[in-house]
Amino acid sequence: MDGTGKVLVAVRGLSVAYTLANGSRIPAVDDLSLAIGSEEIVGILGESGCGKSTLANALLRLLPAGAVCEQGEILFRGRNLLRMSERELRAIRGREVTFVPQDPALSLNPVLSVGSQVAEILRAHLPLGRKQRRARVLELLGEVGFVRPEEIYDAYPHQLSGGQRQRIAIAQAVACRPALLIADEPTSKLDAPLQEEIVALLAQIRRKHGTAILVISHDPAMFAGFIDSIAVMYAGKIVEIGNTAQILRQPLHPYTQALVEMAKSAVGAPVRTHFASIEGESPNPAAFPVGCRFEPRCRERMEICVQRYPPSFVPMPARPVSCFKYGE
Amino acid sequence: MSREPESQNAFLRVSGLAKRYVRGGLWRERVVEAVRGVDFEIAAGRTLALVGESGSGKSTVARCVALLEKSDAGQIWIGDTDIASLSLSALLPWRTQVQMVFQDAVTSMNPRFTAAEAVEEPLLIMGKDEALRRETVRSSVNEVGLSVDGIERSVMQFSGGQRQRLAIARALTVRPKLLVLDEALTGLDLSTQGQIANLLLDLQAAHSLTYLLISHDPAVVGRMADVIAVMAGGRIVEMGSTAEMMTAPKHEETIRLLRSARAAQTNLAAITGASL
Repeated sequence: MDGTGKVLVAVRGLSVAYTLANGSRIPAVDDLSLAIGSEEIVGILGESGCGKSTLANALLRLLPAGAVCEQGEILFRGRNLLRMSERELRAIRGREVTFVPQDPALSLNPVLSVGSQVAEILRAHLPLGRKQRRARVLELLGEVGFVRPEEIYDAYPHQLSGGQRQRIAIAQAVACRPALLIADEPTSKLDAPLQEEIVALLAQIRRKHGTAILVISHDPAMFAGFIDSIAVMYAGKIVEIGNTAQILRQPLHPYTQALVEMAKSAVGAPVRTHFASIEGESPNPAAFPVGCRFEPRCRERMEICVQRYPPSFVPMPARPVSCFKYGE
Repeated sequence: MSREPESQNAFLRVSGLAKRYVRGGLWRERVVEAVRGVDFEIAAGRTLALVGESGSGKSTVARCVALLEKSDAGQIWIGDTDIASLSLSALLPWRTQVQMVFQDAVTSMNPRFTAAEAVEEPLLIMGKDEALRRETVRSSVNEVGLSVDGIERSVMQFSGGQRQRLAIARALTVRPKLLVLDEALTGLDLSTQGQIANLLLDLQAAHSLTYLLISHDPAVVGRMADVIAVMAGGRIVEMGSTAEMMTAPKHEETIRLLRSARAAQTNLAAITGASL
């Protein structure tokens, strides 16, 4: 949050844990706080297994069986989503808060035309007649970049390319003009030119309709020039928050520093030179260390880092970071 | 494309490769010309990257070279032998020379196997005795940077990066000369991708391995390949050294595929003040 707009979503002290069949508890999201302003685009940056998708699913209260929000609250326009009845929630989910999945091939119904699947969202939420609905779907298909919406309306998912299917998923997500759109790795299954197009489309949706967007990705390069602020997540916790330019120009947490370094060196290096990388792997969530969770991989580790989890320090204005480099 | 004079040190030479699939319908059949005459060669110890959008035919080329598909026309030369012309039984010794590593390779392994069993499997198929198998598994697993202590666990208990290391270890057991890497670095986090890429670079240097790299990621291709071939519609539309292709691409498909990587990079550089 850069403090200019109103807060749309405030996550406070959220903890989500999975209980496995063998009884072990996996704390996927641990005491996490995050604010998303209205009309703001926030990026969650983190590696697979860091809990970023669990966070996204928790925001829609669509957690898989076995996952429980143990603590905290998710305030949407001041109301706690975790306390709402399923019925209250249905008025929000798909209408006010919507979701673009990583792989729309899995979320679209293969035996229904894609137009009817966009119409379905409108039918569930808005009192429109058939003709109005069809007209609205065609308008939406045009808005997400289809040149001939009539032809696309009657197409089936398998007749479309991966990029086109992602546009259909976005048309579904923006159909009811949501306040918040959550996109979980929306471009990771697409090749580079299509990634660029989808990013441009999401940016355009915010510009035109003021939709706040939460984007989840593991690649800092995807966030450049598109996202307002970034929350960096590691092993279930947010380790650093700041606006995009600040985070990319001057990352504070050693983990963020390594991520940005990797992204910067990804292109343009001579053939056969080693890639920048972080040694080791994220800790096993069933046995997180007591201290800083990045400590085993950190080049700047100190004695205190193994003793307890670092609190949030604020070494620069509006730049909270959980690292003992910046205090004590 | 005219046949250039054969270079002395080409490990693999593919010439006029073609492959069509017949898509069965109940009433009519549809023929898909997946690969329509592809020529390239890879020098021993070097890497050629095939890039192209999905459906361009790059994976079909990979599968033909890895002997998982029979091509319909053309030759695949390794030394003086056209392996595309061999009968199934005559192919057997060549299968150890060419190994393939897939994206999320563990989906190609038996989920009930322990890591040790999965890595050992090619040796079992070749009928190697137990002492040799055990020794080879140990050395392969060590070589990819995994500890032998954990290899009695199920393959499903390994992380994405570790699984990819297991897949590489498994390929290495038969001492291949050519690895076909079909999107083997796709879907991994940046740090894991970097680790696996570095491992592949080290293995290449240590064993003079030749790589056929299939990827849609310009960052990976630009760093690992000596030569880039761009495929569209079943043909190679442009081929050249990595430096040429990255800095002066000519074909529109090359420009389209490689430019966007630069775009993301330029955005990042603009913000961070890094020089490209």
